[in-house]
Amino acid sequence: MIRLVKVSKSYGDTIAVRQLSLVVNQGEVCVLIGPSGCGKTTTLRMVNRLIEPTAGRIFINGKEISRVKPEQLRRSIGYAIQSVGLFPHMTVADNIAVVPELLHWAKSRVAHRIDELLRLVGLDPLEYASKYPNQLSGGEAQRIGVARALAANPPILLMDEPFGAVDPLTREKLQAQFLRIQQELKKTVLLVTHDLDEAIRLADRIAIMASGRLVQHATPEEILSRPTNKFVHDFVGTDRALKRLSRIGVASFIRPTHSVKLSTPMKEVASVCERCHWVWVVDDDGKFTGWLDRTSLPAANSVRQAMVVGDRDEITITKNATLREALSRMLGQGFNSIPVVDEEGRLIGEVSLGDVEAATAKMEP
Amino acid sequence: MGRLVTRDSVAISGSLIGLASLLIGWLTLKPSRIAAGTSLNLFESIGWVGGLTVLGLWLACLILSLTGKKERSAVTLGILANLIVIASFLLVGLFSGKLLEGEAQIARVSLGAGVWITLAGAYVVIFSARQTLRGSTIWRNVVSWAGLAVLVFLLIEGWFQDISIMTEFSGREERFLQELMQHIFLFGGSVAVGTLLGISLGIWATRSRRAEAPIFFTTNITQTIPSLALFGLLIAPLSALSFAFPVLREFGIRGVGVAPAVIALVIYSLLPIVRNTYVGLRQLDPAVIDAGRGMGMSRAQIFRKIEVPLAAPLVLEGVRTASVQSVGLAAIAALIGAGGLGWFIFQGLGQAAADLILLGAIPVIVLALLVDAIMRTIVRVATPKGLGKGNQ
Ligand SMILES: Nc1ncnc2c1ncn2[C@@H]1O[C@H](COP(=O)(O)OP(=O)(O)OP(=O)(O)O)[C@@H](O)[C@H]1O
Ligand SMILES: [Mg+2]
Repeated sequence: MIRLVKVSKSYGDTIAVRQLSLVVNQGEVCVLIGPSGCGKTTTLRMVNRLIEPTAGRIFINGKEISRVKPEQLRRSIGYAIQSVGLFPHMTVADNIAVVPELLHWAKSRVAHRIDELLRLVGLDPLEYASKYPNQLSGGEAQRIGVARALAANPPILLMDEPFGAVDPLTREKLQAQFLRIQQELKKTVLLVTHDLDEAIRLADRIAIMASGRLVQHATPEEILSRPTNKFVHDFVGTDRALKRLSRIGVASFIRPTHSVKLSTPMKEVASVCERCHWVWVVDDDGKFTGWLDRTSLPAANSVRQAMVVGDRDEITITKNATLREALSRMLGQGFNSIPVVDEEGRLIGEVSLGDVEAATAKMEP
Repeated sequence: MGRLVTRDSVAISGSLIGLASLLIGWLTLKPSRIAAGTSLNLFESIGWVGGLTVLGLWLACLILSLTGKKERSAVTLGILANLIVIASFLLVGLFSGKLLEGEAQIARVSLGAGVWITLAGAYVVIFSARQTLRGSTIWRNVVSWAGLAVLVFLLIEGWFQDISIMTEFSGREERFLQELMQHIFLFGGSVAVGTLLGISLGIWATRSRRAEAPIFFTTNITQTIPSLALFGLLIAPLSALSFAFPVLREFGIRGVGVAPAVIALVIYSLLPIVRNTYVGLRQLDPAVIDAGRGMGMSRAQIFRKIEVPLAAPLVLEGVRTASVQSVGLAAIAALIGAGGLGWFIFQGLGQAAADLILLGAIPVIVLALLVDAIMRTIVRVATPKGLGKGNQ
């Protein structure tokens, strides 16, 4: 548990952080967010004593950190810095091994740990362990940065824009990976970001800062539905309803759907289509391949002739997706429902626009 | 090396230089040590057979370098150039003896510009072949060093004893060895001191804003003082010092001699080392240092595990510059009585004996090239693997 009590930091006349009090509970992800220069990095770096506060006290698990030697404190806290900062003269393996070696772990234990961590962040140890940082892509480097922060299995992680310098697609993958890892490891995490969507996706609680002050500290749902003041209101933007959709998974909204196989005889297809205007088409393995409109039936003599082939990646979603993703697919494709598939691409159901609307309506104003 | 270069322009230039060298004098026959001599052309120098051999080798080189830049032709080209070096010096050594037959005892034969230019041309070709032979270490080394190895062997075997430089050398063997050692001691010692001092000053300059400006001001200023003047400038204060504290003389600290020479050389070697140390440490990505701190490294650990290995290549590059420069500058130290190879140069200047000057100058050049090669190897070995080339 991290507890900041009325912490301030000033540089001469500039006050970077003022009277900030914040608690991050055990196993919780707290995301610090706010405009540039509002004091996020300063706050983060006071927790591992890279910056000493001008006033106030900081406790970790009840112990005041000013009583712990900085080096010792830092070795027990994972820290992923904004610019990654991998050591260019060390291999990926040596980079990850830094803190374990500072803690004098046995060689075999370190080697084992490197393997384990590379797998955890989704990189093949055989391929990556002996690479140098200049042979990595931006996304790979950031993953190594996270692996390095996790190396000595610290209970607390400080992450300063850990997914900053990558393209939106990779960023999304890294976020999903972070959530998976966090579910498994249950670290106490203080994470800084500029990106509200990232905060909403990753946070158990969001701490919004403005010019050194903590403005609101609450769950993402609460921040989106009840912004404390105009600043937060403006900060989260007018698309709050949309953002809240990204906190809701599609899983409980999936309903069974009609589908036909490529090999289904035309007569049967006609009878399925009696009840609806159009149906999804799957192949013989049940994998999504497209859709079929009732109006095209008379002119065709097989499903293959009548159907419209659809790109699985562009149209379908998985059951891990959020309502927001479902909605954006619907709007993008002009559909009023969107197919849900499993990992292999097999159709398992659909989510309809009506359900998304209902979910939005149910949300508090 | 997938470039589609149809011709090897460097090797072509080398061959043309070589061919041009055949048009000017190869050997000079002088009635005495200091008299002006008559320059002999290629065929007068090394005979028809010898002359045509060298001509043929150079023509082969030119033709081969016109045909393209491939690994295989680079090996042949490199071997040809080495053969030119070996053949030229074999012939020159052989014929210098013949030319002196029937001449007076004090007559001398010295090497003309043609020989030196052929040597230069051959090494231009060898350099080009070496560049092309990136892939094969064995051939690259053979091509680079074979000719030199044979020359050294011939030198030791006394093959050049009738050439005037060697005549100057014979009878001065002991002196030569002594001055050579003195030279190595002068530049080696001062570079060693300069390295220790320079690295310390460089580190200090990065650590302290107050020290930075004065350190660079003084090292820059001293670098602009002409070397001769600096050697001279040190004479007065050092002699004053040694007169005030005679005990210093016991340690060899006097106005002239080794002390002022070493001091001057140390001062000269400071700038490249201080500058490179400073840049080497300053250019480090602050994020890397920050990561080290954030992971709980102590100040000393950051220095040892991050700053030293990352700055080492640049620092050593500074030491290389300082070393090569000091080898040359140490030659001037002879002027203030510090000895070294410069002694022969200044003796030769005084007696107007060109060969004696060369006896000092050539070893200085060879020493500089040798030190450069050794330091380059050290820099390469000390460069961490992850630096330099990016995504491969
Ligand atoms: N070493 C320093 N000296 C003086 N002022 C500083 C120093 N470090 C930070 N500041 C100031 O403190 C304020 C907060 O800085 P901080 O780095 O915490 O911002 P941030 O919220 O992390 O911004 P960003 O999102 O751009 O990273 C800024 O106004 C900055 O100018
Ligand atoms: Mg910041």
